[in-house]
Amino acid sequence: MIVPSETVVELSRWQFAATALYHFLFVPLTLGLSFILAAMETVYVTTGRVIYKEMAQFWGKLFAINFALGVATGLTMEFEFGTNWSFYSHYVGDIFGAPLAIEGLMAFFMESTFVGLMLFGWDRLSKAGHLSVTFLVALGSNLSALWILVANGFMQDPVGATFNPVSQRMELTSFFDLLFSHDAQSKFVHTSIAGYVTGAMFVVTISAWYLSRGRHVEMARRSLRMGALFGVFSVIGVITLGDALGFVAGSAQPTKLAAMEGMWETEPAPAPLKLIAFPSDSEQRNVGPTLELPGVAGILITHSLDKELPGIKELEKRAAERIRNGIPGMLALQRYRENPDDQAALATVREHEEDLGYAMLLMRYAPDLTQATPEQIEQAARDSIPPVWLTFWSFRLMIGLAFLMLIYLIAMATFSLSKQCAAHDFLLKISIWLLPAPFLACELGWLTAELGRQPWTVYEKLPTWISASTHSEAYLYFSLIGFTLIYLVFIVIEMFLMVKFIRQGPAGYGHGLAGGGSGTIQPVLSAPVRHEEA
Amino acid sequence: MRIIIYFLISLWLIFLGVILGDYGPWYFAWLVGTVMIVLISAAGGALMDTQLEEEQQHK
Repeated sequence: MIVPSETVVELSRWQFAATALYHFLFVPLTLGLSFILAAMETVYVTTGRVIYKEMAQFWGKLFAINFALGVATGLTMEFEFGTNWSFYSHYVGDIFGAPLAIEGLMAFFMESTFVGLMLFGWDRLSKAGHLSVTFLVALGSNLSALWILVANGFMQDPVGATFNPVSQRMELTSFFDLLFSHDAQSKFVHTSIAGYVTGAMFVVTISAWYLSRGRHVEMARRSLRMGALFGVFSVIGVITLGDALGFVAGSAQPTKLAAMEGMWETEPAPAPLKLIAFPSDSEQRNVGPTLELPGVAGILITHSLDKELPGIKELEKRAAERIRNGIPGMLALQRYRENPDDQAALATVREHEEDLGYAMLLMRYAPDLTQATPEQIEQAARDSIPPVWLTFWSFRLMIGLAFLMLIYLIAMATFSLSKQCAAHDFLLKISIWLLPAPFLACELGWLTAELGRQPWTVYEKLPTWISASTHSEAYLYFSLIGFTLIYLVFIVIEMFLMVKFIRQGPAGYGHGLAGGGSGTIQPVLSAPVRHEEA
Repeated sequence: MRIIIYFLISLWLIFLGVILGDYGPWYFAWLVGTVMIVLISAAGGALMDTQLEEEQQHK
């Protein structure tokens, strides 16, 4: 079997990480803003106040700019699975391909069609018809995300599939198990609602910026109110559902969990939560001062007082055991490949099937498994632990940002409900600086999830080192630099358009300016006028 | 006639809700939570207009 060089694997990882993180700058805003547009339009349809239509149109224009880049950059990734991760696609394509294909269909047929109707159908559809379309855009965006997260859920917790020694690939056994896996479910709700927080922060911070400058006041104060309420409930949801995701990961991916908690040793239950620590991957311990909350991690992760959480060193020992157990299985698989009538080999493969992935970890150091040394097994076992420092701090920063946004959104919602926003000029002025927070939190969340899954592309089934395509290094340098340059151009265009339309504001529409519209010259407390009267 | 149709649709939705809640509790939570968040946000907008109208009446 021809395997890629280590440099090629690393470059493939860099390229995927770069394109995925870039793509996910746009996705969460699409997920959240679409439902905020639906909420604004709901008020327009139910109350007839034209300012809400104007709000939906203004934020809808920003949504459209973001949506276009989200779709374009998502396409890259769909192809990347095949071009850069061909062995992965070959090995688990039967399982991974189905949700990926449905995701593509959702994005291109449902989501994109309704986005067109939403943007250009204001004068062509009835009020109720257009509102339905807006809700379908929101639903389509989130269902599109559902399928890619189902696919990702399989990579984290491979259920609904089994290894077939005849085809030497993994094959789907239950689509139902794949769709309803605990990891897929909890990941979807957590990610989707993280998108809601992003949408809410986008609307609130930009509205606060308008208010701080006294521009588009009528639209901004309503947008801020709706965005802040949307955001408060979303951020509470994202924090609690993040706990649910941690609970699932605790049983399905103990190595990720141990890395997230910087837990080198198995500690007595309930384990403490390390608020601050400085894990050293090379020394396999936390160096420097550690700030802990006794008992909290055990309770949060296991939802019990008496369940132990295994530490990294213990997990390494378990990995070494599984590597030793996987060796006979892999050797039997090689015999079975040469002689498909060898039933004894097949029986051995079946017996050691669960640990074949661990034997593949060892093949990185011992291509001939019969010659594997204890040192090589130890080295492979050490590989089974993800990068601890990066995982630990990505997780901590994500949580820190979530709580910062919770405090901010509660403050904004409270001030808005008591109509005191104008009295907090400082808060309005600093709001725009909080705009990057949800995007950063989403990126850090993905870093935690994907770094924590290492060294596997499919947890405990397929190691990363074997999954990449056998491209040349030059090809990967070329494509990585190419993507970086093209994406730089994209982000410059995106930022230019966003800033241009935000600065311009909704004044250009001219739909409801006579009655509660958002023209800059209106007094702050101008009476809202129903559409029919305008 | 219309009320019977709505009644049957409600029954069907409750049935689907029970099934989804059983096999996919988090998916169900997402569905219910999203509807709730959208409605609260919309209600907040509508409430603001009521607040403004009251304020103007006081003045």
